[in-house]
Amino acid sequence: MRKVIMGNHAVSWGAKLARVEVISAYPITPQTQIVEELSEMCASGDLPARFIKVESEHSAMAACIGAAAAGTRAFTATSSQGLALMHELLHWAAGGRHPIVMADINRAMGPGWNIWTDQNDTLSQRDTGWIQLYCETNQEVLDTTIQAFKLAETVDLPVMIILDAFYLSHTSEPVDIPAQDVVDAFLPKREAPVRLDPDDPHAFGGLVRPDAYMEMRWHQQEAMARARTAFDEIELEWRALVGRDYGAVERYRVDGADLVLVTSGTITSTARAVVDGCRDRGEAVGLVKVKMFRPFPTDRIRAAVRGVPRIAVLDRNISPGHGGIFAEEIRSALYDVPLDDRPEVFGFVVGLGGRDVTPAVVEDVIARARAAERPEREDLWVGVRP
Amino acid sequence: MSDATARGIPPTAVSTTSTLENKTGSWKYIRPVYRDRVAPCNAACPVGIDIEGYMQLLQRGRLKEARALLMRENPMPAVTGRVCHHPCETACSRRHFDDAVSVHAVERVLGDVELDTPPAPAAPRTQTETVAVVGSGPAGLACAYHLGRLGYAVTVYEEALEAGGMLRLGIPEYRLPRHVLDKQIERIEAQGVAIRCGTAVGVDLEWDDLGADAVFIASGAHRSRAAGMENEHAPGVRSGLEFLKEVNAGARPSLGTRVVVVGGGNTAMDCARTALRLGAEVLVLYRRGRAEMPAIPSEIEEAEREGVTFEFLAAPVGARTVHGHLAGLECQRMVLGPPDESGRRRPVPADESPFFVVADTVLTAIGEDADLAFLRADVTLDNGGIAVGELGQASGTAVFAGGDAANQPRTVADALGSGKRAAIGIDRLLRRRRGDAVDVPVEELRFGPDGNVSVTRWRDDDPVRRESPANEVVDRADINLNHFGHAARHPDGFTVDRESLEHFREVNRGLETAEALDEAGRCFNCAVCNECELCLIFCPDVAIARRPDGGFTIDLDYCKGCGVCAAECPRGAIVMTKEGL
Repeated sequence: MRKVIMGNHAVSWGAKLARVEVISAYPITPQTQIVEELSEMCASGDLPARFIKVESEHSAMAACIGAAAAGTRAFTATSSQGLALMHELLHWAAGGRHPIVMADINRAMGPGWNIWTDQNDTLSQRDTGWIQLYCETNQEVLDTTIQAFKLAETVDLPVMIILDAFYLSHTSEPVDIPAQDVVDAFLPKREAPVRLDPDDPHAFGGLVRPDAYMEMRWHQQEAMARARTAFDEIELEWRALVGRDYGAVERYRVDGADLVLVTSGTITSTARAVVDGCRDRGEAVGLVKVKMFRPFPTDRIRAAVRGVPRIAVLDRNISPGHGGIFAEEIRSALYDVPLDDRPEVFGFVVGLGGRDVTPAVVEDVIARARAAERPEREDLWVGVRP
Repeated sequence: MSDATARGIPPTAVSTTSTLENKTGSWKYIRPVYRDRVAPCNAACPVGIDIEGYMQLLQRGRLKEARALLMRENPMPAVTGRVCHHPCETACSRRHFDDAVSVHAVERVLGDVELDTPPAPAAPRTQTETVAVVGSGPAGLACAYHLGRLGYAVTVYEEALEAGGMLRLGIPEYRLPRHVLDKQIERIEAQGVAIRCGTAVGVDLEWDDLGADAVFIASGAHRSRAAGMENEHAPGVRSGLEFLKEVNAGARPSLGTRVVVVGGGNTAMDCARTALRLGAEVLVLYRRGRAEMPAIPSEIEEAEREGVTFEFLAAPVGARTVHGHLAGLECQRMVLGPPDESGRRRPVPADESPFFVVADTVLTAIGEDADLAFLRADVTLDNGGIAVGELGQASGTAVFAGGDAANQPRTVADALGSGKRAAIGIDRLLRRRRGDAVDVPVEELRFGPDGNVSVTRWRDDDPVRRESPANEVVDRADINLNHFGHAARHPDGFTVDRESLEHFREVNRGLETAEALDEAGRCFNCAVCNECELCLIFCPDVAIARRPDGGFTIDLDYCKGCGVCAAECPRGAIVMTKEGL
């Protein structure tokens, strides 16, 4: 079934098809429509899930943790300040190995109070132990939502699926909605390895002493490592069922390129068009889209840009006092690559707080990356007025 | 995951031993107790009905049991569902959330269903004593009904030719259709109550010939008070109550075009709306303001809707005639002064010259007195009514009294309540005479400290399970409104058209059964556990479990006394008590 739906509702449909059992959420722009649609599905009986209303995002995540501990499939959605308010429990969800799926609509942090897109909300949660997957289109949003449950439950880690405010959340696109039996074949009912059971009560989240804590973190790290291969397998299976996959890292017209753009989220679609224009003009420009940010797909990144002389990373985020976060992570990933194969990394900070990243902005990035003799010590801010 | 578990480190921080080993109950210094208390509606009901109880049965779809619970305390729900001033709704906790539960409409539906089902068999005559009841109004019939159900042979003596007292004589048919009243009385007779109409005690039958072991006097208040104006006996000026009795008996007196009703109580409203149905234009003259009117507010609204006009702060000075015919009333404008002994502001003449209202008929309805000249001398009067004790005792002997003849509020509900009190009083007296040690304090029979008594409590055979009950009215602060959703009250269905006005048809259609069940669903069940399970859901120690016979158990080994259950209970049915007490 094809429907023209906005990104928010693509998430709702994904969660419904995944037969989510518990939804707990607190409204925040631009996420609200996700859970609004889900609450209506619950109210109408189309989705036999328990919808738990709460008084804050902190409680929403707490309810999801309880639901996941009890062995159910739990979902929530949030954005920006709401995600920040969850911070403590993001650690709890991951450390407790609860396979919760959460959609985050990338929205800039305030102040200045801002409801438009940038990635600082999710990237601030980088070290909480959540898998992070950034999406480019509404179709990818729906597919990734379903995949996220399978990934989470395979490695017992929570997954954040991330989409840009308004460019995806509120923009309608044609989306193929797979049949329920297809999704059921792909995603069976959750089997929890450990379950909170009032008839056989055990304490969850109690004191763990130094003699075991480090091992628990090591297991979490191993699970993150497994998530890379698990994701590939899940994508293969999904492709066999519906004919679509995305890749943790996608190469687009990279072969023979002397400059490769590296993007995430909806900037990718704009960059694709610019790259096509360049190629039409005979300019050897390529594109790498990074979908998976945690676990960081180090090997994939290295392979994707191996032998490319220069890459330009477009970051819709900023780590104040340092630089664009994707650029920093990529520099780190490439450091061990032998010098001959290692591209020069140019970082560009663009589009903060929802400022448009137009084809002209991308072309400006290409021109500046080409013109420079070598990368600047700090990333360049594009389009900032003095 | 499996490889991690194999190495002996659990996948998540989960205890290897059961938490049952940690008896958190040892931490507590307060403990929760399920305690069913008294809902505000029950406490406010002058009849003493377990309103909350029958609402809860209705919520569980147990319609028949709901009716039976209602009929235990109220012999005439089809009547009170129509004419009661329903103080239960004023007390309803839901009023502070959206709108009170329409208790009267639910009661009416239950009462009407009851009228259409075969009456319960009469209780066997287990008692040897007989009781005489004087007057067949709501007080007399209630007393007879309850005594009949307690096993006594009861005879009701009625001066009029038909039973019902003021329900038949005073209340117009458009508020209480006669077929409803007739059926309701038939069902009381089916409880083994004998009614002898056309028998005035003291006239047709001497007191000494009653031959009863106890007597209940419920002769009502039938003497209209004088309006205290000049020329009060002019032609065209008459008692409103006498007018109502005449019309209710089937007469259609000619009133002329313009009728003025003097007074602001329920009799005045009944006169005004009855006169309207006889084709007159009606003006109600009342010496205080609208807010001070003693009539039931809905009666005032309905009168207004039907076209009755009002002249407030106006008192009649005297009737004026022309050529021996009434021309109208000379009136004095009033203003409200300081409050009088009734608490209402006393009207005093304004500094204005009199004004005149045209009238072909003036109906005075400023109150009634009890005519108690027929009584024996051994009762004492108080404020014009018979002085009675808490269970209706009118003297040290076996004479009891209630209804409008006694010194108490003059409503149908209060009359029914007084009849029940006296029935219990008579049962207690007769059983004590037999040597039974009956020493239940009356306070324990009341709903809360000031409510009416419950015959169910007197019989001690409550069909509803109560969890360690306490006879205290729940405080509004104990109702947790967070757990309720808003739901609009079903308004009564009214028909006001020319035809219904001409034919004295019932104007209030009440509610359909489904709507009434909806209303019952709006009831909060204040102070009484309805097994909503929120306590069980909220208990952080999973220490609450369902009991097979209904209700819940608290595992005190693990309840750590946090009080979350009591705080979350939507209806205040859990209280925290100190440990060891």
